[in-house]
Order: sequence, then C-alpha cells, then structure tokens
Amino acid sequence: MTTVPPPGRDPLSPGSAATGTQDAPDRFADWLTGARILIVDDNRFNRHLLLALLERGGITLVEQAEDGQDALARMERFKPDLVLLDLMMPQMDGFELCRHLRADPRWRSLPVLVQSSLDRAEDRARAFAAGATDYIAKPINAEELLARVRIHLRKHAMLRDLERFHGRAETELEMARAMQARMLPGPARLAELEAATGIAVHAHFAPSSELGGDFWGIERLPDGRVTVYLVDFSGHGVGAALNTFRLDAICRQIGSAALTPADFLAAVNRRLCGLLPTGQFATMLTGLIDPVAGVFHYASAGSTAPMMWHPGDEAPRLGDGSGLPLGLLPSAVYDSRLLPMPPGARLFLYSDAAIEIPTGDGNGHEVLDEYGLATLFARRLQDPDDAALLSGLLGDLAATGPIDDDLTALLLTRLR
Amino acid sequence: MDYGIEVRDQEAVIRLRGRLTFNDHAKLRALIGEMGQNKLRRQVLDLSSLEFVDSAGIGMLLIAREEMERASKQFVLRGAAGQVKRVLTVAQIAKIVPIED
Repeated sequence: MTTVPPPGRDPLSPGSAATGTQDAPDRFADWLTGARILIVDDNRFNRHLLLALLERGGITLVEQAEDGQDALARMERFKPDLVLLDLMMPQMDGFELCRHLRADPRWRSLPVLVQSSLDRAEDRARAFAAGATDYIAKPINAEELLARVRIHLRKHAMLRDLERFHGRAETELEMARAMQARMLPGPARLAELEAATGIAVHAHFAPSSELGGDFWGIERLPDGRVTVYLVDFSGHGVGAALNTFRLDAICRQIGSAALTPADFLAAVNRRLCGLLPTGQFATMLTGLIDPVAGVFHYASAGSTAPMMWHPGDEAPRLGDGSGLPLGLLPSAVYDSRLLPMPPGARLFLYSDAAIEIPTGDGNGHEVLDEYGLATLFARRLQDPDDAALLSGLLGDLAATGPIDDDLTALLLTRLR
Repeated sequence: MDYGIEVRDQEAVIRLRGRLTFNDHAKLRALIGEMGQNKLRRQVLDLSSLEFVDSAGIGMLLIAREEMERASKQFVLRGAAGQVKRVLTVAQIAKIVPIED
C-alpha cells in the first residue's frame, strides 16, 4: 500500500529521522530541493504516483520516460541526479538500461534506484549486477522511497563535492609544484653559469609526492667563486614544501657573498629555529667553489657526505656531512671543511634518499649507504659525458631498490 | 615500527622495533603519551632493534625529547646500531639528547 506523508512530516526536510541528521545544518539541503529525477516506468499510473510522491517530498524537477529507449533519449538533455527505474518494460527493460548507463562514463556513478514488483532474491541480484544502486520492492512505501531517494541524492552530492574538492586540490598542488620548480635554477641560468665560470651543472630533482622537501641553488659571486647549496627538509609533502619556500627566502635575505659557508649555515639556523615547530628541521650543505685556489670550501648541517672525484682517481673522495641539522638549536655552530677541486674535478651532491635505498633480498634491513653510493659513482666515472654519467647513476639507484623519499642529485664539473 | 615498554626499578625502557619513518607519526604520538603516563623519571628509548630511521623519524624522536623535558623526565637514546647510528652521528643528535651505547 502506498502512503503519502502529510506535509508537516516531510521526510526530505533536513533533520528528518530518515537519515538521522539531527544537529548541524545540512549543507546539501539546498542542493536536494534542486535535484532532478527521471522516472522510468511503462505504467502511466505508476509514474504519476511516483511523481506525486516526489513532489510531496519537495522535489519538483521530475521528468518521465516510458521505457529504457525513451529514458536514454532524455538523459542527455535532462541530466538527472537520480533515476527511479522499473525493471519490466517493453522496448528496453530496466536491466538493459542499467547496463547502458554504467557503460557511459557520464552516468557511471549516477544513483539508479530500482523499484519493481519482481521480488525474488535472484531478481535483486540481477538488478545489482546490471548496475542498480538500490532496490525497493513494490508496492511502494512512500516513506521508504523518499528516504532512499534522499539518501542516494545526498551520497551523490557528497561524492560530487569530494570530486570537486579533489580536482581543486590537484590543480593547486600542480601550481605549487610549478612554483617550486621555478625556485630551482633553470637550464638557461645553468648554461650562463657554465659559460662564465667553466662549471657545468647537471641536476636531478624528483619529489616523492606532488611536492617535495628538497631544494637546491647555485649562484656566481662577483669575485668569480660559485656558491652552491642543497637542502632537505624532514618529511615530505606539502608541509616540507612550504618550508622550502621559507628557507629559500631566508637564504636570499642573508646572502652568501660576505659569509663563509659555516657562518652562513649558523645564520640560517638562527632564523629557522624561531620558525620551525619541534620535530621539523632541515639538513643543508652549502659550499663555495673557488677556482683560483682550486678548492671546494663547505659546511654541513647533517647533510650527506659530498663526493669529490679528481681526474685520474679510481674512486671519489668522501667529504664530511656531519653537523647539527638546521632548526634544532639556535646556538649551533658549524665546521668549515675543505676538499681540493682541481680542473676536471667532479663534485657530487645528493639528498639522503640516495643512501636510504633498501638493498639485498628484502629480508635484511641493509640500505645503500654512502660507501655503496660511492661504489656506484666510481663505476660511472670513466664516462666523459656528465649528463650520461648522472642518468646512468640514477638508473643504478633505481635498480638498487625502491626510492621513497624526495631525491635530488647534483653533478658539478670544473671544465677548466 | 612497533614497540614494547618495560618498566624497571629506576627507568622505563621502551624498545622500538623495525623502521621508524614518516608513516609512524600516530604510533609515536601514542607512545609519547604512554611515556608521559608512567611514573618513572628516566625514560630510555632502546634503539638496538630499530633497523631504519628517516628524517621524519628523527623529528619524532626530537618531539619525544621535548615532551619529556616538559614532563620533567630524563630522556635517553640507547643502543643505536647500523643505519640508525649513522644517521644520529651525522646529525650530531648527541649534542641535544644523551646517547648511550
């Protein structure tokens, strides 16, 4: 038997018992009253009954179709938010219409509420297999029908909301990613640097998610020296990436020209200590390539050990990366360190992702440490082409095991 | 990562096992809560069964240190080996947290 609820007890109104939302104002309520419903039923009496029911529930944008064919013809123009579907119809029955809708990407997630006098378990199973969202047996109970319509419209609205949010988040992350990429020296600047200083730079930057906690920079000083730095914030993702923008601004503000690398790190550290909450910090290596003196003068705040190769050597020399990371202790001081860098020398800097790659059969917990990395590097050193060397080395790393953190790798070569 | 807490006479020893990374944030938060609740003044993190720590993991250890300081408890890292020891050494964590072998 069909019962139409009295106007005073509208099951579609926010806070109705049908969905159990009693407190907070329903942000989808407005959307529900504007919902569009397509009734597909070959029986005119049934259609009118459903129409009356929906109208009583506050839904007025209703279109009717006599069978599956008719419904398909109306879908495009009417763009329903929900389909109320009968199963047994001439031309095209409800099962087939369901399958048609699900095969179309536009209607794949559209709620299809089947109402049928077929009430055996296998009929229901068939309807669900064809793509029905829900099933109500005839005779229709008005309260139940309206409650289910409301639930499915709500779910659909939330899904759309989520999809919109997801789409927006993706767009924003993409923009942020582009901003971060622009913070790094581009090919034009590197070519200019190479022409002016004879230092060729090849770089690889690969965040493990959309945004990374790594960044690096290189700059030619007026006196002919070249300053380079590599930063790795703890963690990865959006939080770490926001910190890279902060640190980039701090580095520019302090300026590296007048300070030794060790003093520069100490100055950056003091600024960061006031900004970073406990648990967040950065490792950083900064250094000056002095072509006249033939040295790489550097300091490190818990960064990785720089590797320096001299022409004729079989393996790179390892520098010392130890030092308190930035942002932990305002009074931290850093050691000044030196590596000779004659013409032809290659300097390799990298984030810790390169030495945290799990090695072996997966049973042990060994990682490729800096000695393992140095071994891989040594095997590639005979390659005179820097770009080929770096891409070959990155291939070796990828073959070693999964890399699940931001990976930055810089190869700097003194051409003259 | 998982952990076990052993409350002794003078100290609570928390043994961490496995890998301590970015993904263990919630677990370490719970652990820090437990460390705050037991009455002992000396809280020792036993790292001898910890196989790997990343930078986010180090960050969480530093959060633990601060929380213990706030609760007027002594906080000690003990028994680090392998990669964990290398990372603690490179970051000179001994300058801010007592480290025992």
